[in-house]
Amino acid sequence: MVNRKMKTTFTVALTAAMALSVAACGNSNDNSKNNAASSAAPDKTNSGTATNTTKSDKKVTITFQNIYPDPTTPSYKMVHELSEQYEKEHPNVKIELDTLNTDQQKVKLKTQAASKEVPDITIVNPAAQMKPFVDAGLFAPLNDMLDKNGLKDTYQTGLLDYYSFDGNVYALPDGNNIEVVYYNKDLFAQAGIANTPTTFEEMLKDVKILKDKGITPLAIGEKDSWTGSFLFMNILLRTNGGPGFLQDVMDGKKTFEDPAFVEAVDAFQQLVQAGAFPDGATSIDANAGGNIFKSGKAAMWVIGSWETGAVDASSVAGKVGAFQFPTVNGKGDPNEFMLAPGSAFAVSANSEHLQETKDFLNFFASNLPKKQFELKNAVGLGQKVDGDLKAAGYSDLAITIAGLFNQVKGGDLSFDNTMNPATSQVHLSSIQNLFVQKMDSAAVAKEHQTAFEANK
Amino acid sequence: MKVLKVPARTIAVFVLPCLLLYVCLVFIPILVSLYTGLLKWDGLTTAQFVGFGNFKDMFFNDPVFWPSVRRTLLYAVASMLEIPLCLGMAILLNRYVRRGNTLVSIYFTPVILSVVIIGQLWKTVYNPASMGGMLNGVLISLGLDSWTHNWLTEPKIAMFALYFVSLWQFFGYHLLIQYTGVQNIPDELYEAAKIDGADGFKADRYITLPLIVPIFKISIVLAFIGSLQAFDLVMVMTAGGPAHATDVISTHMYNSSFMSLKYGYGSAIASFLVIVCLVFTGFINTLFNRIERKFN
Repeated sequence: MVNRKMKTTFTVALTAAMALSVAACGNSNDNSKNNAASSAAPDKTNSGTATNTTKSDKKVTITFQNIYPDPTTPSYKMVHELSEQYEKEHPNVKIELDTLNTDQQKVKLKTQAASKEVPDITIVNPAAQMKPFVDAGLFAPLNDMLDKNGLKDTYQTGLLDYYSFDGNVYALPDGNNIEVVYYNKDLFAQAGIANTPTTFEEMLKDVKILKDKGITPLAIGEKDSWTGSFLFMNILLRTNGGPGFLQDVMDGKKTFEDPAFVEAVDAFQQLVQAGAFPDGATSIDANAGGNIFKSGKAAMWVIGSWETGAVDASSVAGKVGAFQFPTVNGKGDPNEFMLAPGSAFAVSANSEHLQETKDFLNFFASNLPKKQFELKNAVGLGQKVDGDLKAAGYSDLAITIAGLFNQVKGGDLSFDNTMNPATSQVHLSSIQNLFVQKMDSAAVAKEHQTAFEANK
Repeated sequence: MKVLKVPARTIAVFVLPCLLLYVCLVFIPILVSLYTGLLKWDGLTTAQFVGFGNFKDMFFNDPVFWPSVRRTLLYAVASMLEIPLCLGMAILLNRYVRRGNTLVSIYFTPVILSVVIIGQLWKTVYNPASMGGMLNGVLISLGLDSWTHNWLTEPKIAMFALYFVSLWQFFGYHLLIQYTGVQNIPDELYEAAKIDGADGFKADRYITLPLIVPIFKISIVLAFIGSLQAFDLVMVMTAGGPAHATDVISTHMYNSSFMSLKYGYGSAIASFLVIVCLVFTGFINTLFNRIERKFN
């Protein structure tokens, strides 16, 4: 009997303890939330009254998600050096770098966004790609911060429009690039090719010559499917006779079954069939694909001008030139480029240290052009830079590309910067498919149109 | 077996916390996911209730869905087929190898390695010869040039290349389970059988197989359900590419949710996967209950 009673008491005691501990947990959670809320509140008032006095003693950690994982590139050095400099000047601020490669970062941000936990600073792509995030109210408007220290005036006219919605700027781009064809002069000479191709037919011929010499004609890493799409869109820009194809589709003036699109698919397949790309291209990611060119194993690389600094820092430095993507079937203007307003820095609207983050980003963006110039990575910047490239010892390649910038007569944004994510995904895998099997171009066009209509 | 006489309340004290955790961490998310599957939602902005619209799209309009289901089921079947092999090997090891444990531990190594490492390892093995792929290199050195392939990028082959890695990885795991099971069968039974004139395969037929059925079932269920959820290896090695050729249900779900920003649709796929897992677990259980009853 006694035993039984003991047991009962024990049970009750245990249950009570458990219940208490659960309640305690809940309580402590509540407390921390309250704390966060109450500490955030005075923050806001502080920032309102004393805008420039950021040197408070409060310890602040700012998470900075970025896409510069390769330590050999100038961009990597730029981010690290600027962050360290800021930390030195502001001992209370710690910049925590969350470094990922592009595709990983895109996915990570989406998962974080789904749970409303966007890092203080993150990377987004312009226009269509950042729109869902802005619609969801995840990013803080940066207008006030842009007006400070004259930061806004450093950007090229019109560039910030790609990152603006309803009159608010939500992100600051790291560059403003064009797609070019880099080529390895040594390998061209080895294959006996004297001139760079100006038509697609010449390009195909060169591809065959290079292939016969055992040289990979075009480097690419198509596991990250945007790379192939970026190249394909260049062909479409030509077969369409100029920019605006995707816009016309969205406006209902054209469909993907338009002859220009089908022709572009056919041309692209010719390139694949000629053996232009490395074996197993779809298993190589974009970084590794670029390394095929940068290690001197491929003759050409069709990619954004943002790679100029990285090419100059690689083992093929000095051997590389660049030219415009050629005309296709006699169509298009070589001075129309695939445009790539850079990936951009956005600030989380829910950041616990919104003001500190904006202050840091202001410093970062203001100093970015100067730093990139020092690191010989100023080609394709979205901001104005003072200084003469030649005098600063920039490579011939950099000067060539800076020259190409002066010839830009307009162009298109990449597919996934223009179309909604669902249609873009179908497009990206459809193009990836062209790398591994021959497709009926009409079927490819139809696949695009079906996806577009289903996801409008 | 002795049964402890403990009041239900006491049992509840020990069971409840776990049950609570289980309900919070497993059961509720499944329900939430089922509900999210009824929404048209990009995971960011306001959701819109569409009833079974996502499921309709999934079953009738999605060209990627059914092939990914087929690949997943094939994955599950393939992973089961290696278990009889493991059992046979376990029997042989137990009978003829003196220190079988060491061998089993060696086979077990791939299970301990991270899937990312295994994926990267096999990616380099499968690489084209021009990138120093070992498999193709060996084939060429054997004079079998025509047998070389881009193992991971040819749509018809890539999935089988993945199956093989998975089989390779889990071979030791199932071998360990089977080996332990075989070892636990008392020697007296075999001795008795020997006296009665049943040796070798005959003893296996009448002693080992019936007694190993429960262990065999565990292996089968683990392999089957594990493969239905296969994700990490595919993600590391091909990410479902080229062009969906290696998409399984889980990668299709992931791509829909996070790449195409169709979170609701992805949840619908997830719900489907949960149901498939439940149905097959139930099916395997009934099947084995019948087999066990037959042997008893």
